Amino acid sequence: MSWAIMNVGFYIIIFQFTNEIGAQTGWGKYEFFVFLATTWIINSIIQTFFMPNAQEFSELIRTGNFDFALLKPIDTQFIISFPRIDWSSLSTCMMGIGLLSYSLYQLMVVADVPLVLAWPVLFLYPLYLVCGVAIMYSVMISLAATSVWFGRNQTLYNFWFYLTNFSRYPMEIYKTGWGMGLWIAFTFFIPVLLVVNIPARFLARPLDGMTSADWQLAAFALCASIGSLFVSRRIFKRALRSYRSASS
Amino acid sequence: MAIIEIKGLEKTYQVYQKKEGLRSSLRGLFSREYKQVKAVQGIDLQIEQGEFVAFLGPNGAGKTTTLKLLSGVIHPTSGTATVLGYTPWQRDNEYRRRFALVMGNKNQLWWDLPAQESFRLHQQIYRIEADVFQNTLDELTDLLDLQDLLQQPVRELSLGERMKMELTAALLHSPEVLFLDEPTIGLDVVAQHNIQQFLKYYQQKRKITILLTSHYMKDVAALCKRVVIIADGLIKYDGSLEGIIKSTDQRKLITLQFRDAIDDSLLAALKKFGNVTDVETPRIKLTVTRDVVPRMLSTILDGYQVDDVVVEDPPLEDVIATVFSEVTAGRVQQIDDDEFESIGDGQGL
Repeated sequence: MSWAIMNVGFYIIIFQFTNEIGAQTGWGKYEFFVFLATTWIINSIIQTFFMPNAQEFSELIRTGNFDFALLKPIDTQFIISFPRIDWSSLSTCMMGIGLLSYSLYQLMVVADVPLVLAWPVLFLYPLYLVCGVAIMYSVMISLAATSVWFGRNQTLYNFWFYLTNFSRYPMEIYKTGWGMGLWIAFTFFIPVLLVVNIPARFLARPLDGMTSADWQLAAFALCASIGSLFVSRRIFKRALRSYRSASS
Repeated sequence: MAIIEIKGLEKTYQVYQKKEGLRSSLRGLFSREYKQVKAVQGIDLQIEQGEFVAFLGPNGAGKTTTLKLLSGVIHPTSGTATVLGYTPWQRDNEYRRRFALVMGNKNQLWWDLPAQESFRLHQQIYRIEADVFQNTLDELTDLLDLQDLLQQPVRELSLGERMKMELTAALLHSPEVLFLDEPTIGLDVVAQHNIQQFLKYYQQKRKITILLTSHYMKDVAALCKRVVIIADGLIKYDGSLEGIIKSTDQRKLITLQFRDAIDDSLLAALKKFGNVTDVETPRIKLTVTRDVVPRMLSTILDGYQVDDVVVEDPPLEDVIATVFSEVTAGRVQQIDDDEFESIGDGQGL
């Protein structure tokens, strides 16, 4: 809770000095708060359902207790992905929904030029939330699976944090100078930039303002989420083949 | 047809050799030294349906690795194995429904929850019908005397109770093949005995195939007719327990209780026959080879007044320790199936 308040407070301070993040990017104060709320919602889903299990997965590999998961007549990736739920992390999701509602109110009611939400957004936003969660889950399970080769991967969770940190800001900030390299890498190779940007873009800005490039990126995000799941599944399967258990 | 069939099974691990010191750690970031550890070196084995086989060997011999290969937990480097007609490391769900692995030093039950909750999860994972599940659970908890412990968090159970719960969890889906990796490790004699009795009863009743590794020879003596000894990743012996005792240990332990105190001349006479291990006059213990026993007893009983004589085999643990040291030193050659019977008669080694 306090972290969320500090987070919002920090951006309120920044928006005292500027009206939007980058000239003509369309990410004004409340548009950005829609973005921030979307970040919280996706992150809280990841932290509630997947993060504790990914951490547990690494520990199971290190201690050799992963043996038991391999004995069960059920998909191994399923059984290690869902055993634990950290309900307390859902509070961030609630705050995200609160911030989202307030920001949308500001954009749709209070603003001089009110935002009009087209009905497809009601379908597109949740769809891309799911896509975002799928991409994040894929990155997380892939990183956790590398424990099979590295034995212990504490630093990989730092790596996860640094990697996903890129997804916390609008992708426009990377589209200049040397940031282009990051934009290409984190859009097309490890597509974490699509996780929040695409759903937030649908909700925060008018649908009829979408350019063909925006639509292409949205289509790519759909493919990227399916592709991420596919690649992470391959990495997981490869890790299972290399699993060597631990001495007893 | 054999239930378990292993041909030329090999498992080699690549183990990173980390030298001490910061400089070596930094060097390890760029260039690493690995050692090839051959945990299992091409073993051949056949086990028939309903057999209860002990898999013995010193630490690091390859017993647990073999069980993990047969359970599909790890992939082999080469060779083939089938269990119930399945290749274990293909991890076929149908296969995984038909066997179980119990590891004495690892828990599969949820630590903070009552075992009953884990059993329910097993029921769902193994898709056991509700009435079958309840009947099996009732039978197992009755046999293992666990009725009052099902609602207790696993962390609050004693080691013996926990092992019983682990066995229950492993048997809920009525496996046809059971791999037991040191199921009595760390248990007191009573708990060990209870588990032995349960396994004996359950195996005879269900006619399931069990492969057991244990360092407790009492487990082996109580449960298994057939013993497979593995050392350095190779099978060194495959036969009966009696066979290996006769073949590898020619000693007898003799305790003599004399009427009078033991003097120097008696001690010197006894030392001619064997190795004196303990003297608490008028009682003496010595170890002699089997063929010397009649001659020694005849001589002593003729010349001295003896109140009591005990002639016994050495403790099983000592025999197996001798066998392990011999097989590790390579004195016992690998034995093929044709020599199986002769080993049992004490001629093979």
